[in-house]
Amino acid sequence: MGSNSRFMIGLVGVAAVVTYLVWTGVSDTMTYFLTPSEYDARIEADPSFRQVGVRIGAILVPESYEKGAGELEHRFVVHDDDDPSVTMEVLYTGVLPDTFNDAPDMLTETVLEGRYDENGVFEATLLLTKCGSRYEASPESLDRGDEPAIT
Amino acid sequence: MNIIGELALWVSLPVAIWGASLAFIGGRQNRGDLVLSAERTVYAVLALITLASLGIVDTFLNDRFEYTYVASYSSLDLPTFYKVSGLWAGQTGSLLFWLLLMCGFSALAVWSNKTKNREFMPYVVGTLMVLQVFFLVVLLFADVNPYARLGFTPIDGQGLNPQLQNYWMTIHPPTLYLGFTAFTIPFAFAMAALLSGRLDSRWIVVTRKWILLSWFFLSNGIVFGMRWAYEELGWGGYWFWDPVENASLLPWLTATAFLHSVQIQETRGMLKVWNMGLVLTTFLLTIFATFLTRSGLIESVHTFAENTKIAFIFLGFMGSIMALVAVLIIYRLPQLKSSNQIESFISRESAFLFNNLILVATTFAVMWGTLLPLLSEGFMGQEISVGPAFFNKVNVPFGIAILFLMGVGPVIAWRRASKKNLQRNFLVPIGVGLATAAGLWFAGARVGLSVMTFGIGAFVLWVIGAEFWKGTKARARIEGEGLVRAFWHLVMRNRRRWGGYIVHVAIVVMFVAFATAPWYQEIRQTLDPGESAEITSPLGSTYTMTYEGLSTNFNDREDNLAWQAVALLTVEKDGEPLPPMSTEKREYIRPERSTSTEVAIRSTAVEDLYITLADVNTRAVQMRINDPTAQTATFTFMVKPLVSWIWASAFVLTIGALIGMWPGGAQTPAPASRSAAGTAEPAPAGD
Repeated sequence: MGSNSRFMIGLVGVAAVVTYLVWTGVSDTMTYFLTPSEYDARIEADPSFRQVGVRIGAILVPESYEKGAGELEHRFVVHDDDDPSVTMEVLYTGVLPDTFNDAPDMLTETVLEGRYDENGVFEATLLLTKCGSRYEASPESLDRGDEPAIT
Repeated sequence: MNIIGELALWVSLPVAIWGASLAFIGGRQNRGDLVLSAERTVYAVLALITLASLGIVDTFLNDRFEYTYVASYSSLDLPTFYKVSGLWAGQTGSLLFWLLLMCGFSALAVWSNKTKNREFMPYVVGTLMVLQVFFLVVLLFADVNPYARLGFTPIDGQGLNPQLQNYWMTIHPPTLYLGFTAFTIPFAFAMAALLSGRLDSRWIVVTRKWILLSWFFLSNGIVFGMRWAYEELGWGGYWFWDPVENASLLPWLTATAFLHSVQIQETRGMLKVWNMGLVLTTFLLTIFATFLTRSGLIESVHTFAENTKIAFIFLGFMGSIMALVAVLIIYRLPQLKSSNQIESFISRESAFLFNNLILVATTFAVMWGTLLPLLSEGFMGQEISVGPAFFNKVNVPFGIAILFLMGVGPVIAWRRASKKNLQRNFLVPIGVGLATAAGLWFAGARVGLSVMTFGIGAFVLWVIGAEFWKGTKARARIEGEGLVRAFWHLVMRNRRRWGGYIVHVAIVVMFVAFATAPWYQEIRQTLDPGESAEITSPLGSTYTMTYEGLSTNFNDREDNLAWQAVALLTVEKDGEPLPPMSTEKREYIRPERSTSTEVAIRSTAVEDLYITLADVNTRAVQMRINDPTAQTATFTFMVKPLVSWIWASAFVLTIGALIGMWPGGAQTPAPASRSAAGTAEPAPAGD
């Protein structure tokens, strides 16, 4: 057998391993990444979807944060980015990221991982946040820059 | 100054267009005078963009909040250091900064090739100028002009996010950008080779140091980002497979592949099309990384704001380049034929090829995982995302395979390795690797992939150590030098080779440090003052942390602090007292309600003790309640072995890369039969 064809076998081997790893990797670890509206629609269509862990991307409702009763429990509300009327109550257990900010001027994007509990509260085990307004200032918020934050 | 800067930005566009036209016309018509003029426009654009950048720095230093960019990223009380680095703190400024660096490298490339490589220069200059035109058009017409004004003047700016006020975060983006922009030079030379038709390995020889320079900055930029995540984000990790992190890793992977595959082209005249493909891919990935971090296209914890217009502009630009290069490669295909063929499966060419295949496969896997939310939405109508579990599962086996090849590549013979070559070079190192793995396994390290990494790491280190030893000894004998002197001369005489080995050592150490991740310890505990927590390190020692109490501080306008709560802990290791540690939470006055957690890290050569204040009774702190319950605090305690090795290995990598890049020295590639440092066997004829 020529070394070129042996090399081709090696190449095909690497490609097969890559495909296998990527394929099984995706199917073992994938989660749906949904907006609150999409999530609600999925559950309406198929109630068993309630049991499926999902990733949610949504916007934090300003001034909605409350410290939960238990240790490291945090309660807040998020709304759909496209449709602010669709909201979701969240109970997150874990350390709050530093970029979590529910101040009135802030636009905090959140990524949550978890599922609904029986009361329709989204129990999140993972919370990633991204603070929008510090990168993209809205003129209104800048306008208030002179007001002292603590009076 | 700001007016001059803004004007300079506008003026540079026609200058760059003029320069690009001159360069291409000069190249087509062989008009040296036109090419010379074109080269002068490179300096002119650099001067203009420098003015434009200084103008932005000036607006920051003078608190000109009528500029949207300054108002968004600065405030009156921001330290001067962060006002200067404001140039790259946000989207619009960093695009200008990107352009500034690229103009700087372009000028350096033109200057250093004043009297050589003249056949390439028209097209090099032309390509670089087209890229500059593109960035200028984006800056001026895609709503990202850093000179855009608000229309009114706020009294103060929003201030820079406290998380970004960190040393590593200040140097991380510029270092990455240096890596991205330095790679435009090899790309420009590749384009010049395609356009001029000079397709031997000359363009590679010319750009060798540029490739290394770019790779060096990319590596350091990535490590600086890891360090920032570790010290600032407070979750105790350094890599999260976040889209933005991945975006910076992708060009690093293909640049690493390119760094190796060019050596095959130099020594064996093979892989010409492949190398063109890699230089194009790497360049496009640097653009992609710049664009991804700036477009917010994919969910990420730290992308910048969403900006779809710019997304289409970037994608269109990347698509056009890809199409153009593909056409050029097909047109030049007859000249890109390999001068040699792979003779044996067991040879250095083959090891390098597998290195390339695996690096490209890793690139593909990382890219797939990163873009999956977009792809699945586009093709299946619903977004699917994968997390760190996916990337670890896929990339760890690739990483181990690459590690193994790092031990094989340096000593296996070119063309065809004989049995004797294999025996002489690999018998002992493989034995050392197996013994290491077995020893650790019986010592209780029962994580298969990690133990494999340790074993293969030992194998590679032994191979490289033996190479250094053999080379030094031979030189000492032949030249009659002392060992230290011989070692020094050995490295200096072939810096590229030995510098490369030093980089390999760094990568091995880094991989070994990564492989200890399964032993990271973490506990979370809520403590009242006087209570203790215990955590046992995987190496057996026990840390006892006693919470001494919370000290608070309020409304410190000087430091922009609304409040600050510092938890003090006394620490003992196996009963022996260590210096006390403190971790704190802060809330800043501006931006309103922004918080920051300062971690406490006790770093040693063996392991890090990492403590964060996970939660305090914020309300009680704010109300300044003085009863003991206000002091209750929740801590996360972590013990992480070998983290300091990661930072140390980045330093070793820097030394190795600098040795490889240092100007001068014996850099001519040795012919294939000799370049295995005397370890190669004469290749048998025929197949």
